[in-house]
Amino acid sequence: MKTIIEPFKIKSVEPIYFNTKEERTEILEKAFYNPFLIHANEVLIDLLTDSGTSAMSSNQWAGMMQGDESYAGSTSFFHFEETIQRITGMPLVIPTHQGRAAEKILFSILGGKGKYFVSNTLFDTTRANIEYSGAEGIDLVCEAGKHPSIPAPFKGNMDIDALRNFIAEKGAANIPLCIITVTNNSGGGQPVSMQNIREVKAVCEANKIPLFIDACRFAENAYFIKLREDGYAARPIPEIVKELFSYADGCTMSAKKDAFANIGGFLAMHDEALAQQCRNMLIMTEGFPTYGGLAGRDLEAIAIGLTEVMDEHYLQYRIRSIEYLTNKLIAAGVPVMQPAGGHAIYIDAKEFLPHIPVEQYPGQALVGALYVHGGIRSVEIGSLMFGKYDHQHKLIPAQLELVRLAIPRRVYTQSHIDYVAEVIIEVFQKRDEIKGLAITEEAPMLRHFTAKLKPVL
Amino acid sequence: MKTIKHSWAEPYKIKMVELLKMTTAAQRKKAMKEAGYNTFLLKSEDVYIDLLTDSGTSAMSDRQWAGMMLGDEAYAGSRNFYHLEEVVREVYGYKYLIPTHQGRGAENILSKVLIKKGDIIPGNMYFTTTRLHQELAGGKFEDIIIDQAHDPENEHPFKGNVDLNKLERLIKKHGAKKIPYVSMATSVNMAGGQPISMKNLKELRALTKKHGIRVIHDMTRVAENAYFIQQREKGYEHKTIKAIVKEIGSYTDGATMSAKKDALVNIGGFLAVNDWDVFEEARNMVVVYEGLHTYGGLAGRDMEAMAIGIGESVSDDHIRARIGQVIYLGQKMIEYEVPIVKPIGGHGIFVDAKKFLPHIPQDSFPAQTLAAEMYLDSGVRTMERGVVSAGRKANGENYYPKLELVRFTIPRRVYTQAHMDVIAESAARVYQRRKTIKGLKMVYEPKYLRFFQARFEKL
Repeated sequence: MKTIIEPFKIKSVEPIYFNTKEERTEILEKAFYNPFLIHANEVLIDLLTDSGTSAMSSNQWAGMMQGDESYAGSTSFFHFEETIQRITGMPLVIPTHQGRAAEKILFSILGGKGKYFVSNTLFDTTRANIEYSGAEGIDLVCEAGKHPSIPAPFKGNMDIDALRNFIAEKGAANIPLCIITVTNNSGGGQPVSMQNIREVKAVCEANKIPLFIDACRFAENAYFIKLREDGYAARPIPEIVKELFSYADGCTMSAKKDAFANIGGFLAMHDEALAQQCRNMLIMTEGFPTYGGLAGRDLEAIAIGLTEVMDEHYLQYRIRSIEYLTNKLIAAGVPVMQPAGGHAIYIDAKEFLPHIPVEQYPGQALVGALYVHGGIRSVEIGSLMFGKYDHQHKLIPAQLELVRLAIPRRVYTQSHIDYVAEVIIEVFQKRDEIKGLAITEEAPMLRHFTAKLKPVL
Repeated sequence: MKTIKHSWAEPYKIKMVELLKMTTAAQRKKAMKEAGYNTFLLKSEDVYIDLLTDSGTSAMSDRQWAGMMLGDEAYAGSRNFYHLEEVVREVYGYKYLIPTHQGRGAENILSKVLIKKGDIIPGNMYFTTTRLHQELAGGKFEDIIIDQAHDPENEHPFKGNVDLNKLERLIKKHGAKKIPYVSMATSVNMAGGQPISMKNLKELRALTKKHGIRVIHDMTRVAENAYFIQQREKGYEHKTIKAIVKEIGSYTDGATMSAKKDALVNIGGFLAVNDWDVFEEARNMVVVYEGLHTYGGLAGRDMEAMAIGIGESVSDDHIRARIGQVIYLGQKMIEYEVPIVKPIGGHGIFVDAKKFLPHIPQDSFPAQTLAAEMYLDSGVRTMERGVVSAGRKANGENYYPKLELVRFTIPRRVYTQAHMDVIAESAARVYQRRKTIKGLKMVYEPKYLRFFQARFEKL
């Protein structure tokens, strides 16, 4: 296979600040072993998230300059609305300042005590918003999705039988919404097949449960469908995307991912009555319906980004570069989620650090080691993010202990990625030296953002 | 010798322009009809001069745009956050900062952190979103602004002042424990951009201190308020805007800010407090609603633009030109005998529609009618602030507010003196033919916040 080159060149650069291992040891200690508390200019390669960290294109920057900042009826809004209608086929479009605001609005309308939201896997802020409303979030990912080392083409799929059983047990009336996250972020950026979406839709329809798509990475998912699912190899991406959305009653999107924007999100749907309720909430916490808490220029940048992301050359480069890093790590024996996902590398921390028990947060310990050794910032997706306590304050661990290295879109070059691989492999060789961590301070919700930890000696 | 007028001029020149579409009377007639005689429903491309709001509509400076290019979009610990935090400490004096995507995001979080069910929140006149968040958190708003604020003709220099007797009565009636804070706005928007005096603020601080009540500052237009203090209050004539702004902050315990006004940005806001415990609770909450506490739902570049904009907003030259332009427009209107609210406020001209169109009863929406007529005459977009905005009571009856106004809000650094002339001349032309103007009837009325989307037909 020929080297896949980037279908773009660099127009503007940002310097990287270098520091030493000794400095980083001290920085990590001062940040209480939490990467969210490290200053960005103390990081060499920032793989904390692919959210809002993309490099925009020159076309998007030109759009920024054309942003119409009118409070009502902004030209940029109409461009934004038209684009989303065209891509999703959904007529009602509501901008929000980012994805979680779209979720907040949706779940505060549909949620409440005694309700269940079913999903393949809910992401952290999605889950927090559901729980904040008093409802419960239920993950029903397929069996393959629970085993990091077993390769399968669509590990983001929902378990259809589990879905049927759950509906039978709790009653369709208590399930206001089924949500499919594409790609499945917490489950390793793994795609969902069109076939699975179709089957979920059939079950939802039979039970009159609306289906929403958490569409943050819709284009990456569509590309996997094209690569791996029968009958889609010759279909253009926009067509696959349109089919994917055609099974849904609505979607939420953080435009900070597949729309290459640094800020923004939206809700789109078919149901006029629900849209009206959403707009009423929107005005309270976000902004007027034609700007939703975004500058006009950001609406413009999102509209342009949504179209750019469906370019096949781009998607090939994007997916291939994640695979490139994954393969390097597999070759060195590092336990990573297989096959490679769409936007990130997921290291299985339980296997990487078998000497650290889950109560000592092996994922978080590995995050710290990667930072000290190479200045790489990653994030734990395990018991620090999703763990809970039972009534005796004993940790109920998460299903998986993962470390995510999310690759920002169009930002890092192949040599950055080579450096990342080298750092991970070196840490892997010295893994026995890594120590576990204990929490010293935490917030009641979304604790991973602000928690303070210390090493267990 | 004849005295020669000493004009102000803008302390900037134009670096980038946005082209406007000129429309014909026939095109405007069609557009206004399609928008149901509601200026909110006009497409911005059909508008010539847009005075709908001064919120988020400012022209940024070249330095702000340069700052946009220095945006650090890291999810956590962005450099721009630390810059903004430093500027907020230096300029406003608040210790702890939580950025939010705009002002109402900060109001939402503040209300949820400080208000308990059954609490009373006194304030110098309500603002729509502020009051809504107080109510949603279980509190009740009580107006403690001086009575003169409700009279458009009254020329009191500080119509934003708090009536301390009203506040004392509330404390006596409910007890200080029921009052988590006083919501104190500078440049009171609903009163027509009217300022509060430093003397009044000091007295408010003394009274609240005695009872252990916090003062939270709605500081959206604090620099404009500072200008009126400099111009009108004894002892402040030689102080800089920067010094006055910092002094205002020193009498308060925290603030909510929509940076889309004074701070010259198109998006952004923040919550700032001096109390660590309040900060900590707010920081946990901001993650759920807005974003991680070092970006709060804003792109890094927007925090940078805000940090730079805050610095520019407290420059004496800037604020003199800003308010000078508003006063220029107001005086032209007065020359043409167009009835406006006095004294002229900081961010716009408020035309008294009841006096302008005395033959149109409030049920036929004089302010809504006048806003539509302004658009038809010249493509100038203004906003109704009268019976349509006031909405209905719980029993379905219309509120009939005393003030039936049309707001001409001036975006910062966007329009020139020639634009101001066009606006004043257009208002004068409409005034000349006022007797031929007929009212409107409402043909579509949404249940909530009807002014945004209501539709009308000509009578």
